[in-house]
Amino acid sequence: MTDLVKENILLNAVTSAFKIEGKVIRDRRVEVHADKNTVSSILLFAKKQLGYIHMNHMTCIDWIEQGEFELVYTIYHPVDKLTLFVKTRIDREIPVMENIDTIWDHANTYEREMREMFGIEFPGLVGEHDFILEDWDQIPPMRKEFDTHKYAAETFYTRPGREDAKDVREELSKRSGTVVPDFAKKYSRE
Amino acid sequence: MVREKETTLYIGPQHPGITGNMMVKLKVQGDTVVSAATHVGYLHRAFEKLIERRNWIQAFTLLCRFCVPEPDPMELTYARAVEELDNREVPERAKYIRVIVMELARMQSFMLWYAGQSGSAGLYLTPQWSVGDRNYILDLFEDLTGGRIYHMYIWPGGVRRDLPEGWTDKTLRTMDYIEKRLDEYNKILFDNTIFQKRAQGVGIVPKDKAIEWGVVGPVLRGTGIKSDVRIDEPYEVYDKIDFDVPTQEGGDIWARALVRKEEVRQSIRIIRQAIADMPGGAYYNKVSNPMKWTVPAGQAWAKTESVRGEIGFHVTSDGGNKPYRVHVKGAAYTHGVTVLEKILPGQNIADVSFILNSLGVCPPEIER
Repeated sequence: MTDLVKENILLNAVTSAFKIEGKVIRDRRVEVHADKNTVSSILLFAKKQLGYIHMNHMTCIDWIEQGEFELVYTIYHPVDKLTLFVKTRIDREIPVMENIDTIWDHANTYEREMREMFGIEFPGLVGEHDFILEDWDQIPPMRKEFDTHKYAAETFYTRPGREDAKDVREELSKRSGTVVPDFAKKYSRE
Repeated sequence: MVREKETTLYIGPQHPGITGNMMVKLKVQGDTVVSAATHVGYLHRAFEKLIERRNWIQAFTLLCRFCVPEPDPMELTYARAVEELDNREVPERAKYIRVIVMELARMQSFMLWYAGQSGSAGLYLTPQWSVGDRNYILDLFEDLTGGRIYHMYIWPGGVRRDLPEGWTDKTLRTMDYIEKRLDEYNKILFDNTIFQKRAQGVGIVPKDKAIEWGVVGPVLRGTGIKSDVRIDEPYEVYDKIDFDVPTQEGGDIWARALVRKEEVRQSIRIIRQAIADMPGGAYYNKVSNPMKWTVPAGQAWAKTESVRGEIGFHVTSDGGNKPYRVHVKGAAYTHGVTVLEKILPGQNIADVSFILNSLGVCPPEIER
C-alpha cells in the first residue's frame, strides 16, 4: 500500500500555484481541473518547473447534454513516474481552445484531429485542414449528434442485387425452419 | 553553382515499406529530401465512433483492428482501463497468461518488423524466413484463441479461456526453436554489411529531443534513454519477472534494430519464467451478462508497452452499457507524423521507407 506522498506533493504544487481544484485519483495518477485560459500556463509550469516533459495524450469528450467539450491533457514525469491529467471544459457553441503545439510539437497532430473531428478551433494552428477526412462537408463526425446510421443510409447505395434488403435472420429462419433468436433486440436497453 | 529544382514526390499510399497504407509527401532536391508531410486517411474506419454504438465487450471486435501487427496490446490496454473503471479484480493466473500472450504478440510483431525492415533495404531472404517463423507463433495463438491474427482473448476480468492441454510445452519448444533461429538471423541481417551501411547514421532521432517529440518504445531506447512501461509502471505480473530493458546509443536505425533484436531474447526469457511460475486456479473473473453489463461512470487512462512502444487508452464511461468515449494513442501517432516529418529532411529518398519501418509506423493506428 502506497502512502501517495509524491502524488500529494504534485497536487499541492499545481493547485496552490494556480488556485484550482484537483485530486489524487490513485497511486501515480493526479488530476486537476482548470479554466480553459489557464491550461497552457499549467502545462508550461508542469513541463518547465516540475519535469513533466512527456505529453502522453490529449483527448476530447463531447458532453452534449451539458453543452460542453471536455479536453484532457495527459502528461508524464519520466523520473517520478507520475501522470498528471489537466482537464478543462469549453463551450460547445464556441469551441475555441488555446493552441499548445509551441509547448509540445506533437500536440499539433492532436489539435488537427480535434479540429476535424469535433470542430474545435485552435488559433494559430499550422497544418492542412484535411488530416484524416477528405472533402468532408458534414458536421464534425465525432460530435455526438452525428448519426452514423443516417449518414450511411443517405450516402451509400445498396449493392446491385441486394435491393430487397432481406432480413438475414428471417431468411435463415425460413430456410432452416427454426427460429433464429434476435439477441440484439432481446438485450437492447431501448 | 547549379541550383537544383525542387520536386514534389509522393511515397505511398500503397504500403510505403510494408507499414500499411499512408502517404508521405516529399519535397526533394535531387535525391535529398527537403521537407516531408504525412498524409493519412486511407484506412480510416471510424473505429472510435463505432465503438460508442457497441457495448463494452463488442468493442473488442473493433479495437483489436487498430493496428494489424499488434492486436493484443490493444485488447489488454482497453481491458485494463475498463477494469479500473469497474474496480474488477483479475485472477493471478490470468495475469501470467496475459504476460505470455503479450510477449508472444511482441515476438510475432517483431518477426513482421524483421520482414519490413530488411525488405525495405532490398534484403529479401529475411522476410521469407521471418514471415515463415512468425507462423509458428501464430499457431500457438490459434491453439489458444481460435484465431491467428485477431484474438479477442483478453477480456475485462481475465482471459476468455484457460490454456489448452499441452500448450505450454508446445510454447516452450517454439521458444527453443526461435532462440536458435535468432543466431541465424544475425548472420543474414545484422552481420550483413549492406544492412549495416544502410542503417548506421541514418534516420537519427536526437536524444535531447526524443521525449519532447513524444518518442516511445524501442525508438526512445535507441537514443540511450531507458524507458519501458513494463518497468516504469508495472502491470499484470511484470514486477515479479526478471528481465532487462536493452538500450543503445546513437538514435539511428541501427541502434533501434539492435534494441529490438535484444528485446526478442528478453521476451523468450519472460515467457519461460511466466510458464514456470504460473499458478493454477481461476483465469476469469466473469462478467455476469456481457450484453447488459454496465460500467460505473468515470474516466481511466491505461498504458502498456507494445513492440513499438507505449499504447494508451483513455476510456470514458457515463455509467451505461456502452463506452461513452474511447480514445487510443499508439506509438505511430507521434512517430508517423511529428517525428517522421522532423527527421526526414536531409535524408536520401531511398531511405524513406527504411526509416518508416524503423520508427514502427502503423498508419491505421494514426487514423483509427
